[in-house]
Amino acid sequence: MLNQAIAKLQAWFPADEVHAHCDGPCGVYDSASARVAAEAVLSMTKKLIDLEPPAAGDKAASIAYQNTFSRYIAIKEEQAQLTKDELLILWTDYFKPVHLEQFPDLHDTFWKAAKLCSACKVEVSVQHATELIAAVQKIHGIFWATKNRDVAWYTAS
Amino acid sequence: MLEEPFVPIAPLPPSQLRHSRLVDGVLWLLRRRRRFRVVGVSMWPLLEPGAEVLINPFAYGQQRPRSGDLIVAYHPGRSGLRLIKWVVYVESEGCFLQGLNDGASTDSREFGLVPWDRIVGKVICRFP
Repeated sequence: MLNQAIAKLQAWFPADEVHAHCDGPCGVYDSASARVAAEAVLSMTKKLIDLEPPAAGDKAASIAYQNTFSRYIAIKEEQAQLTKDELLILWTDYFKPVHLEQFPDLHDTFWKAAKLCSACKVEVSVQHATELIAAVQKIHGIFWATKNRDVAWYTAS
Repeated sequence: MLEEPFVPIAPLPPSQLRHSRLVDGVLWLLRRRRRFRVVGVSMWPLLEPGAEVLINPFAYGQQRPRSGDLIVAYHPGRSGLRLIKWVVYVESEGCFLQGLNDGASTDSREFGLVPWDRIVGKVICRFP
């Protein structure tokens, strides 16, 4: 009786999750996650710049324009943060001191890439979004070099 | 007089977690306990995925976690990701957390010490 009541309580009021955490089957990392997000940032930045404002006085067109503009900004913000999150996971969880010996500019590379993510959020800058892609490409090279694998760089867009 | 030789004592991981009693349920209803559901296998066999626990979020207001405590803490590098782990040892700037299932756990071996402000509370019991 009591157990049934508790079971119903658990079903009606789901508990928050707490993770007995493991990053995938431990050790599954890929710089591709950051690449896809960074590509989305560049794409949204270009779309924002290309979006033509409507003629003055056209209320419906103005609403549609502002809606689209806002959505592009929201996606750019979200994807720039996601890029940063993915890079930080690689930086803090995957890379080890031994990699730093192999790539002494590792910290500087990640720090600058994370800064570019922030810049892409603050600005609408094709230059910085392009530099972010270049930074992710550099990290892709370092990442796969540490695994002694030759994985060619490619982009989805 | 000969001194006792110093024998380092390895911290023991928690091997048991009691079930909740009526008082735990009352404390939860009074919001003195928080309820969480375990996702993942790093605390197996003590806690299987889907198990629920009650934690005391006020346990570490006056005192610090101790070696062997089961705790909930935020991942130091990933905002919003709450972890359940055990405290292996405590240092001045934070504590070293580890899973029970070493082969399937991402923990302080990867992300280092977890600072005090990332700790959510102490696991008290299972629920129910």
